[in-house]
Order: sequence, then C-alpha cells, then structure tokens
Amino acid sequence: MIRKLLLCLMLLAGRCFAAPGEAYIPAGDDVVLQQVPTAVDPRVRQFAVLRAQWQKNPDHVEQATALSIAYLDYARGTGDARYLGRAAAVIDPWLKRAPPPLAAMLIDATILQSRHLFNESKAELIEVLGRDRDNAQAWLTLATVAQVQGDMDTSRYACAHLIGGSDALVAGACLGALNAVTGHPHEGYQTIQTLLRAEPLEAPAIQSWAQGLLADAALYSGDDAQAEAHYRSALQLSPGDNFLLADYADFLLDHQRPQEAADLLKDYTQSDTSFLRLCMAEQMLHLPQAAADIAQMGSRFAATDQRGSYLYRREEALFALSVQRDAAGALDLAQQNWTVQKAPQDARILLQAALFADQPAAAQAVLDFIDRTGLREPQVDQLAAEVRRAMQAGAPAVRGAAR
Amino acid sequence: MRALRIFTAAAALLAGLLPLTAAAHKESDSYLTLSPDPANAQVLKGQWDIALRDLDFAIGIDANRDGAITWGEVKAQRGAIERYALQRLVIKGDGLSCELQPVGQMASEHTDGAYDVIMFNAVCDKEIPNRLTVIYHLFEDLDPYHRGIVTIHAAGQTIGAVLGPTGSSASLDLRQPDRWLQFKSFVIDGVWHIWTGPDHLLFILSLLLPAVLMRRQGPLQPGEHVWSGSRWQPVNSLGPALWELIKVVSAFTLSHSVTLSLSVLGIVSLPSRLVESGIALSVIVAALNNIYPVVTNRVWLVAFAFGFIHGLGFASALAGLQLPPMAMLASLGGFNVGVEIGQESVVLPLIPLAYLVRRTRFYRIGVLRWGSLLIVAVASLWLVERIFDILIPGLGFLTPN
Repeated sequence: MIRKLLLCLMLLAGRCFAAPGEAYIPAGDDVVLQQVPTAVDPRVRQFAVLRAQWQKNPDHVEQATALSIAYLDYARGTGDARYLGRAAAVIDPWLKRAPPPLAAMLIDATILQSRHLFNESKAELIEVLGRDRDNAQAWLTLATVAQVQGDMDTSRYACAHLIGGSDALVAGACLGALNAVTGHPHEGYQTIQTLLRAEPLEAPAIQSWAQGLLADAALYSGDDAQAEAHYRSALQLSPGDNFLLADYADFLLDHQRPQEAADLLKDYTQSDTSFLRLCMAEQMLHLPQAAADIAQMGSRFAATDQRGSYLYRREEALFALSVQRDAAGALDLAQQNWTVQKAPQDARILLQAALFADQPAAAQAVLDFIDRTGLREPQVDQLAAEVRRAMQAGAPAVRGAAR
Repeated sequence: MRALRIFTAAAALLAGLLPLTAAAHKESDSYLTLSPDPANAQVLKGQWDIALRDLDFAIGIDANRDGAITWGEVKAQRGAIERYALQRLVIKGDGLSCELQPVGQMASEHTDGAYDVIMFNAVCDKEIPNRLTVIYHLFEDLDPYHRGIVTIHAAGQTIGAVLGPTGSSASLDLRQPDRWLQFKSFVIDGVWHIWTGPDHLLFILSLLLPAVLMRRQGPLQPGEHVWSGSRWQPVNSLGPALWELIKVVSAFTLSHSVTLSLSVLGIVSLPSRLVESGIALSVIVAALNNIYPVVTNRVWLVAFAFGFIHGLGFASALAGLQLPPMAMLASLGGFNVGVEIGQESVVLPLIPLAYLVRRTRFYRIGVLRWGSLLIVAVASLWLVERIFDILIPGLGFLTPN
C-alpha cells in the first residue's frame, strides 16, 4: 500500500486508484487504435486451424491440448500474458473432469509455473508423476520449478529421471543448468555444449533454449565473450524471444553498452520486461524520451498492482532500484520476490537493494542460500562479499554498489 | 508402448511445453466505473473500458484482418460489442436488476493498448439504491485470468473491487438507507403493480361483483336454471355491500401479505410458472362462482385462500430484494400499503356504482353473468399461456407485466 502511494506520488497523476484513461472520440475512422496479430504470422494462421479442429471435436482432448499449447508457445515467445489465459481457458473444462487427462494437467502446471504459483505447479506435477512415473515432461518442469525455488535436491532428483529417456539433450540441459547455478558453471556448460554438438538436428525451440542455458552458464563462469555469442545464436534461432531479449539486454547494460541495448529493444516496447530495460538504457544514455518512458513504465506497474498481480516483483525491484533509486521500496520488493523465486538474478537484486538501503543484514537469506547451494556468479560473488564486509564493519555500505 | 509414450512427451516438448519464466505483459483487464447521475436518482452512469485486443479475440473487430484496428472498424461493431459485453454484466440496486442501456461509444488508451469505451446508463427500479451489486462475467470462458476492475463513486466516496471468475460479484453500500424515502417509493411500486396487473384486479372484481346482490337460497323455481339471474336479489342497503367489500379486501390483504413477506424474505419459494398459473386459476374459479355459485356466503374465505398465491405473485416484483432488516420492513410495508391503495382505488368507486344499478337486468345478466364469463375466458387464456409457457398473439394488451 505504501509502495503504491509512493508510486502514485512519483507519477504525480491522479489515476493510481481509478484506472480508466480519458475517453475520447478518435479524429477519424482511419485512425489506427490497436495492432493485433495478423494471419501473416504463421502462428496466428495455426491458431485458426487448431481452433476450428478443436471446435469440431470438443470431446477430443488432443485437439484442446494442441490449441492450448499453441497459445502457450505464443505466450512464451512474445511474453503476451493474454495468451496464457487463453491457453488456460481451452483446457479448463478438461481439468474439471475426474481424473483430468495428464496432457491437460501438464499444460496447467506450465501455466501455474509461468504465473509464479510454484507450489501449486509442483503439486500438480507430483500428481501427474503419481499416475505416470515416466512422464519426461513432468520431470523436466518439476526440475525447473524446484530450481527456481532453490530446492536443488528435488531439481537434481527430477533431472536424473530424464537420463536414458528419448532426448539426451533435454536431460543434459536439465542437469547442466542445475550445475550452472550450484557452483559448477563450467561443468554445466560442457555438458550442454557436448550434447548440443551431438544432436545438431534438434528443433530450433530446443536449440534456442539450450543456447540460452549455455549463455547463462558461460556468464556464471565469467566468460562474457562466450556468453554473448550464445545469446546471439539463441536470438537468431528464436528472434524476438522475450526472455532472451531481457537476458541479453541485462548483459549489455551490465557491460555499459546501453546504446546496443536500446537498439535491441526498440521494437519490443509492448513487453514490460523489454520496456523496463529500454527505460534503463535511455536513462543511462540521458535520452530526452527517458522521463516519459519511465513514467509510462510506472503506470504499467501500477496497473498490474491494481489487478492484484504480483508476477513482476523482480522487475519492479529492478525498476525501483535502478531507475527510481528508491532504496526502501526496492528492498521491500526484492525481499518479497526472494520469498517466491531464487534464481541468480533474484539473489543479485536483493543483495544490491540491501546494500543500497544500508541494511546489509536484510540480505542474510541470500548469504545463507549461497552457502547452502554453492551458487557462484561473478556479480553475486562481488555483491555478497560487499554485504559480508558491510555486516562485519557494521557500517553503512558503499552506495555505489548498486547499478 | 513405452517408446510411444516417450515419443509423445518429446513431441509435447517440441510443441512448446518448455518451462516458462514469466509472462511479460499485463494480463487482460477491463475498467468499469459507475457514478450516480446527478439529474436522475434512478440512473447510474457507467463507463466500461474493454481492451480492443480482447474484443477482437472474442467477437472479431479487425474486419479486414490487416492487423490494424481502426476507429471505423470499432464503430462498425458497436452493436455487437455492446450486446456481447452488457449481457455479461449485471448491476443490481438493493438486489433488483437495473437495466443497462448503452448511450455512447468512445475510445481510450491504457498502459497496454487501446480500449473501446461503452458509455451506458444503469436504470434501476428503485430511486437511489442503498446497496449496489455488480456481477461480472466478461471473458470468463475465454480467459480465466481476465479481471474486471470496478470503481464506484458515490456519496463522496470511491470504492473499488477486482472481479474475476473466482470472485465474480461485489456489493457495496452507497449510503445509509433513508427509510421514509424507501417506504414512499415502495408504496408507488405497489400501486403500479396492481394497476398494471389485471389478473389481481379481475380476481378482486369477480369476488365483489355479487356484493350488491344476495343469492336467494332454496329449491329452483319452475323454469329457473341454477345460473338464472332471477336467483340474485338486490341488497336493500349499501351497508351490507360495503361490509362484504371490507371483509373480502381485508381477507385478501391479510393472506397475500403473509406470503409476500415470506417470499421476499426467502423463506418460501415456488416456481413462478406454478404461481402465475395458480393466479390465473384463482381468477377462473372466482368468476365461475358468479355463474355457477358454490360459495355464496363466505366469499371472503375464497379471497383469503387465494390471497396466499397472489402474495407469491406480488413478490416477483421484489425478487432478489436485499436490504438491512429495518429497511426491508419499510419496503415490504410500503409495498403492501401500495397494493392496498391500488386495489381500493379501483373497487371503492365501483361498489356505489354497482349499488345504483344492482336492480337492472343489465347488471345481473350483462355484468354479472357475461362479465364473469368474459373474465373466465381471458383467465383461461392466461392459464394456457402460463402452463405451457407460450404467448398467445393478440393477448398482449391483457397480459400482466
């Protein structure tokens, strides 16, 4: 609530609680109000086909899951959350059956995971595995959810179940990604790289996913040049992929290359994650449009808060810290975020926020987590060392630590 | 078998079930604002902003499929948008549904794109409802994560709610109930209910037509049929006729008040088809009794007995009424008083008139017999309509609302 008020004060706009934008009559019939996906996009053409099949065969779960997965895939690629809801609506009737089809439950678990309802996702996956012990999809998603939650033992257990399955790369990437965040980024990198070279004919989506994991692993082991090369190949395989754009933009901003970040993101302003990085780049470049875009970003967060969504705590913390320089707000958000997810980026933002707010002890949970999991990442290592020093000194930390 | 299953799993992976990090856009919302119309106490002004992207997905707005929705395309779909959206929204004042009337179309910009704006009036049954309820069903079948963000401005305060499939309704108190105002407005409702509901009136009328006559008892005289007008003898003074009127109306009032209250309070509930058919039947019975008399002395008992079913019928006008206990008492009391006034206003002038012409053949044969027969005919058609749930053409003007 306080944060919302602060945001309102920051925006200096009266729209924090009452949302409707000013209603107006457009100047003419030709005025374009909204871009929507067109049939030029093959994915949209596929929606029409799958939708027709689904409507024709309402009793076939295969048609429902095919349409739902197509929506989900689109949501992943573009980051457009509306398609998550559409994917959920298609399988909803199937989830109400007893017992629900496994395929529908798997989609639901993936949606729950993307909505950061990790515990709910986990529970559903465990139910699926209770009915089908060898469900590779369920093990993979479980491994991911557990890893994001910092439950590395469960993640390792789940990855192990993929070994010997039909897809060696998926199994290797699962373990490699886990090694990368538990202090063995180099080994993780080698595992994924070897398997990727062995299977050059994998689908682009899988290859791109593996390239993204390679980039992360390279980054954690301090090999920035390798990391950048992998980000670029991943983006070549799936151009415009929302998560790759955000990760690569973070990389560029970390390396003081805001102009390249701005160029990378300029066509993806609809995505909140991309737009946030664009705002950060514009601020670093002192561009004239920075102020307006930052205000717009604030409105977007206010709008998500208003609907009661708290999916973007990491991004909101990043915004509060890097753009608004709001120490207390950023620390509060970073701590809330840490209770939900524990990826290296989440560790980093909490360490930064704690230092910036002169409350190093607030990041104690991250220090414990690093000790427990062995997480190594150059930025995290450096920040953790600063936090430890600040705690020992009992003195205010250096403010420059935060980006 | 095992190979096939693993193949299926791998196919799912390829098709796009790779773990997601998080969505990066705001999910779908609509923004609904309600505020009282200063010019008309029965009206709430509504503004409902719905994303063009969502409308395009639901009903198709981008007519030429070029990926760019123009204002012209939005205007062309105005009727379809209003029908689609307003059917999925219910606004109730004190539990009574308000009629949603679209009055204009505009556009607006929100953080995630352009929205169609439906300007509408919510015309409520009652003046200035105390308690407003919004029931929201938009897009619940297309996107379970869609939310309706509702803001209500009333009496200097602003209240909000976020509605979606798991919590689709919100109620809030707009002001402290003004019981006197409430009482008055329900009195008017009661009067109108009687005036516009010919079935209740015809029932009372059928019972009162013979009030100015007396049924001669004893064996039939030669050449006399049981339905002959000659068996009806005029009363000698107005006194007994008025006494009859008082008894009938009081008995009717007593019994219909009981069931009206029980029904509105939700204690008794019968299907409306059954109630409405019962009312039509009561009119037939009452009118037939004037042609082929069975009950002649204690007509008030008939009024009392059938009053119960008429009370359930009155309650339909107040179905769903939700008020705090004291306000409920004021409303129910007011409605009952209104029903009484409505009845008296019709029968009081009628009885002296009937008294004056009671000796004429016109009254005994024309009014009492043929009038009652006409009532039986009309009520029989109602009965058919209500039992079979059909509409008989040409009967509209006589159909109670």
